[in-house]
Amino acid sequence: MSASPLLRFDQVSIHLGGREILSPTSFEVTRGEFVCIIGPSGCGKTTLLRAAAGFLSPSGGAALRHGKPIAGPSREVAFVFQDYGRALLPWRTVAGNISLALEAAGIAADQRRARIAQVLATVGLGEHAAKFPAQLSGGMQQRVQIARCLAQEPELMMMDEPFGALDAMTRESLQDEVSRLVQSTGLTVLFVTHDLEEAIYLSDRVIALRTNPTPDKPSMAAMLEVKIPRPRDQLLTKEHPEFLRLRRELYGFLGHH
Amino acid sequence: MGRLHLLRPWAFPAVLLGLLEGAARWLVPGSDALAPPSHTVMAFGRALMAQGDDSVLQATAFTLTSAALGLLLGAALGLSLGIVLGLSRRAAAMGFLSIEVLRPVPSVALIPLAMLVFGFGYRMEVSVVAFATFWPLLILTQAAVRQVEPQLLEVAHALGLSPWARTTQIVLPAMVPRLFIALRLGVSIALVVAVTVEIAANPSGMGYAMMIAQQSLAPDLMLAWLFWIGVVGYGINLATLRLQRAVAQRMGEVNLEAKP
Repeated sequence: MSASPLLRFDQVSIHLGGREILSPTSFEVTRGEFVCIIGPSGCGKTTLLRAAAGFLSPSGGAALRHGKPIAGPSREVAFVFQDYGRALLPWRTVAGNISLALEAAGIAADQRRARIAQVLATVGLGEHAAKFPAQLSGGMQQRVQIARCLAQEPELMMMDEPFGALDAMTRESLQDEVSRLVQSTGLTVLFVTHDLEEAIYLSDRVIALRTNPTPDKPSMAAMLEVKIPRPRDQLLTKEHPEFLRLRRELYGFLGHH
Repeated sequence: MGRLHLLRPWAFPAVLLGLLEGAARWLVPGSDALAPPSHTVMAFGRALMAQGDDSVLQATAFTLTSAALGLLLGAALGLSLGIVLGLSRRAAAMGFLSIEVLRPVPSVALIPLAMLVFGFGYRMEVSVVAFATFWPLLILTQAAVRQVEPQLLEVAHALGLSPWARTTQIVLPAMVPRLFIALRLGVSIALVVAVTVEIAANPSGMGYAMMIAQQSLAPDLMLAWLFWIGVVGYGINLATLRLQRAVAQRMGEVNLEAKP
């Protein structure tokens, strides 16, 4: 095992359409860490995530995974899209959607069934394997997408505002589920959100980005450690003095001046 | 009272047939163009009984086989080339000029050439139908590929699907609803062109039988063929629609009642 971090951004900048979306940004993510990227709309947080997943290459600097430049998407990196409705194959059942990840990995047909049942049980969808996505609620559809990413057995999971389109109740229960999953599997997560409470609640570290970076005000506005014990609780954690302090500190970075 | 509404769609055709019967019998008796529906039915009955080349079964089978083979050929070529042109901008740019020059050629203008190359029979009719159905299928397939949800392609990338699996597991199934529109268009074009080729040149099939009836001044038989071609077209359209529904259901287009 090399000592290089799982993910390393070294002065990564990204230009799209002649505009600087992300000014040179550096950070590292080590194995088992849950890192949230937070910022207002248009701050480049999704762009950063897409670069980390290999969907686009940086305009400057180096994006490295295990010390090697990220050349493109990898099976080691799973990506949970915000819009679950457009990320699931509507013509495949829940089980069929999970199967896609296993087919891509070249798992033999007779071994898929057990794996599918296992990941579906993990996200609490064991009884819905034969249903089509359109027959499920939004929260359940997002669980299917998460299950498909788990079936991929990645070392790193990218999540792009995965709960942004869900109602508050569903969002909280999915937050707890993802926390529990990450705790039990040791998965490393890079999670984009614009909800600062969600960011603090979930992560070990929060990276705050700002829009319209300038040389003296770079994209990365702040990087904060979240030292709130786990397992966390929707009520108790959000009343924790450290939670309130971080919330107050991050509030300013999100454009609420 | 309750069942009466089932008869409603039949009221208009019944009135029309009645008027036609009256007009043909009393207004223009012995016309070369119009025959009373009752005579048409009898002529159709005789044609149904007839044996050999001009029997209804033989002629129908010839036309449908030619149309089906032509459509199969045109669709196979149009579909595969359409997928390539839809996936690759470079291929689309290369093919653009050739397509735009060849596409407006009316398919029936190919009949003389097809006759020279293949002579009479299945092959010339199949080739013209294939040419006629190839273009709409090519264009519609290309458009359908471009309209595949881009995020599904990103999912395929993220999961590490091979290019082949990406095409067969993502692009093709995502295109199916639009492909059915193309298929239904292709089916009707195939039938129209097959009958046209038979009327214009090929001495076989339903179109030819209708021409023969016309030339032997038998309007009852000619109208019988016209009616029969309509029935066959209707039947094929219905069958395509059924197929479309069955496929849609298998592919998870579930109606809202099924929601938990």
